[in-house]
Amino acid sequence: MSGPPTRSTERLRLEAISKRFGATIALAEAGFEVRAGEIHALLGENGAGKTTLMNVLSGLYHADAGRIWLDGRPAEIAEPRDAIRHRIGMVHQHFELIPPLTALENVIIGQEGSTLLLRRERQARGVAALAARFGFEVDLRAPVAALGLADQQKVEILKAIFRGVDILILDEPTTVLTPQEADALLRTLRTMASEGLSVVFISHKIHEVLGHCDRATVMRAGRSVGTVDASATTEQALVEMMIGERVARTAAPAEREVDDTVLLRVDDVTVAGRGGLPAVSHARFSIGRGEVVGLAGVDGNGQRELVEAIVGLRRVTGGRVELGGRNVTTTAVGDRLAQGLAYIPEDRLGDGALPSMSVAENLFLGVHRLARGGGLTYRPAAIRAGAAAPVRDYAIRGTATTPLGMLSGGNIQKVLIARALAVAGHGDTPLVVAHNPTRGLDVRTTEFVRRCLVDVSRRRGGVFLVSSDLDELMQLAHRILVLFRGAIVADLPSTAFDAYEIGRLMTGAAARA
Amino acid sequence: MRNALAEIAKYAFAFAVAALAGAVLVAVMRGDVLGAYRTFVWSSLGTAGGFAQTLNKMCPLLLGGLAVGLALRGGYFNIGVDGQIYAGAIAATGVALALETVANPALAPFAVVVGVLGGAAFAAIPAVLRAWWSVNEIFVTVMLNFVAVFLTEYLTTGPWNDVMAGEAITRLIPDAAKLPMLSVRAGSHVGIFLALASAVLVWLVLERTRWGFEVRALGDNERAARVAGIRTAWVTAAVLVASGALAGLAGAIEVTALHHRLILGLTPGYGIMAILIAVLGKARPLGILAASFAMAILLVGSDSLQRSVGLPASAALVFQALIVLSVLFVDAKRSVRA
Ligand SMILES: Nc1ncnc2c1ncn2[C@@H]1O[C@H](COP(=O)(O)OP(=O)(O)OP(=O)(O)O)[C@@H](O)[C@H]1O
Ligand SMILES: [Mg+2]
Repeated sequence: MSGPPTRSTERLRLEAISKRFGATIALAEAGFEVRAGEIHALLGENGAGKTTLMNVLSGLYHADAGRIWLDGRPAEIAEPRDAIRHRIGMVHQHFELIPPLTALENVIIGQEGSTLLLRRERQARGVAALAARFGFEVDLRAPVAALGLADQQKVEILKAIFRGVDILILDEPTTVLTPQEADALLRTLRTMASEGLSVVFISHKIHEVLGHCDRATVMRAGRSVGTVDASATTEQALVEMMIGERVARTAAPAEREVDDTVLLRVDDVTVAGRGGLPAVSHARFSIGRGEVVGLAGVDGNGQRELVEAIVGLRRVTGGRVELGGRNVTTTAVGDRLAQGLAYIPEDRLGDGALPSMSVAENLFLGVHRLARGGGLTYRPAAIRAGAAAPVRDYAIRGTATTPLGMLSGGNIQKVLIARALAVAGHGDTPLVVAHNPTRGLDVRTTEFVRRCLVDVSRRRGGVFLVSSDLDELMQLAHRILVLFRGAIVADLPSTAFDAYEIGRLMTGAAARA
Repeated sequence: MRNALAEIAKYAFAFAVAALAGAVLVAVMRGDVLGAYRTFVWSSLGTAGGFAQTLNKMCPLLLGGLAVGLALRGGYFNIGVDGQIYAGAIAATGVALALETVANPALAPFAVVVGVLGGAAFAAIPAVLRAWWSVNEIFVTVMLNFVAVFLTEYLTTGPWNDVMAGEAITRLIPDAAKLPMLSVRAGSHVGIFLALASAVLVWLVLERTRWGFEVRALGDNERAARVAGIRTAWVTAAVLVASGALAGLAGAIEVTALHHRLILGLTPGYGIMAILIAVLGKARPLGILAASFAMAILLVGSDSLQRSVGLPASAALVFQALIVLSVLFVDAKRSVRA
């Protein structure tokens, strides 16, 4: 190479990449070009082909046609090994960590000589330093299985960077991070870019693209629609490029009708956590008919435990849970669902998806215990037919018979939401418990899902919305509860919604006062 | 369509590899290769007696394959088919001998049902341990195989021993406890119908009942099944018990239709072959049916080669292994190219 790379030198070019899976055309002559030291955003709706294109670049998929250029020379990337040799690193949308190993072990695994104890100590220090540089507060000695999604995401990023890369691909790295964490990540990436690193950054959050990226390439239905300078475009323009039309904003939730029928009552609930400390302590609140109650908090403050206690997946160590006036504290999950409790889990692949079963079968899961008629029998034709409406209404990119694992991340999420809302429609206590339901969804689908949740409340159901997206909470909820270290430290009516104040409460302002 | 052809080609390739290996083996032993092939096909398919033997062999292989396959669909490994076959055989022999004096023709079906229950009860141990205490079913089923063999040894040499025979076998069961033959001359028994009916039943349950759907969901992602309200512990227990019941049926048939007594060595490793069969058949009843038929041919054919060409007894196992490895090899190659 001749001298240090400057901003305008081309580092990577993907040219007319095509890829099909059976009848699905995932990529149709897609391509774009990334410069040295650039943060290049890749945008597009769920199923547009972003992940597939990056999987081709990292050697996981073999393109049917097209070429890859690195530093102006054609590159042959047939296997992940080739990508590593070309110093290309990828952080996958769905994590590829080894749960029983510690975070540190996951980062250094596969590194040369990591079995040598001495080298390992040095590597451990290196990883810790890298984590500090990114402002990641991850317990490196904890097994990955015990980490929340946000921490797992950080481990994935460390793993990719620790290996030493020139081109870093990040597939939706910020979906599970708080805005502050995302901000810190992007600023660190900027520093590294100024040292020559090229970054491909996939996100559905347009403000991140406008605020932190140099250029953006937009994909639509397997094609690249165009590349624009981030400084010379607007949110509106990008969204229109992505979907070819404007998106209406969600209407605010309807004024709540006065109705004191309580759907859910959480009474003094305590849930045990790791290492003796309670994950949730003495939580107390209720949700009435037609009400959307939000739960704000920094990830890992007990959200998951609280939600799972309500759904019945986790034992409570104290207090009681009531659904529609009935005590369900020790009731099985299935019986709670039968009452109309619906659950959209945060970890869609782990807790929600049947990857090798079809979209139709996934839509039927859970609903199968509630659907009247049919009794014991299972009728594939009827189940396929029943999937037609949700596939259409939710614009799921795939058919009733596609195995779920072959859908893009956002489309899997749509299936899980469709299923949950169907469950809520079956009981007399319709209550949707949604944990980060719009995570990883594109702009249009996000709006659609939010409208669905608002509709639940309009039809006098209840919604318990647990979200790390404060804007989402303030937009949809009638009340926001703030969770800090397992305790509900505030219960704010909509008149008291204030991002700054809620942010302070989330980080323990109430506890300090 | 293209997929179906590719599948068929894959199995053809696997059997070609095994056939080639067989030819090499025969040639090394200075045997007549073509003659060996002819003997192989003739002895397993060409004569009424040979075909009857193939069907008789297929019976425990098919049932064992279904047992492993059913558990596999729920996400579990039943390595204890051999033990459950013995349990079924012991239970069937037990009632047949206990009711020796009752000359009622209902005794045979009754003994079979008891055998099924025996297999189910034996599988209930790993089932309950797995479902409610998360004890790995692989270890438990393997251990119980030893228990079953020891129990069989005790019964065949001790209380039920046929003192005249001087072998580890029990007394003959009464005629009323014997299942009818299909063809007395050829030597085939009705067990194959019970096995085929079981294959249809397993398919119906898995693909056409909601419980079967729950089993498949469990096998695909246990956590998601639980989150969706399925009582996973109960489904787990039930699927493992049902798996044991299928193996128990195989044992009961071996006693009531084939040997007419309990013998040590009743299963020459059917449980292990069942695993291969379930893997080859992708845990689908139709695939298991085809695989068990092919395996039965292989066993009977190799057996005759053993007698005519002097092929070692273990050759059949080598061929089985080659077939399975070839299939897995093609599968692996294909998934890399995806
Ligand atoms: N392994 C596969 N087998 C079959 N189809 C696939 C496979 N991988 C991707 N697809 C299909 O290719 C298309 C593009 O998927 P891709 O995952 O690249 O989308 P994406 O832009 O990353 O979407 P998202 O924002 O939801 O992550 C989708 O229609 C998807 O169903
Ligand atoms: Mg993607």
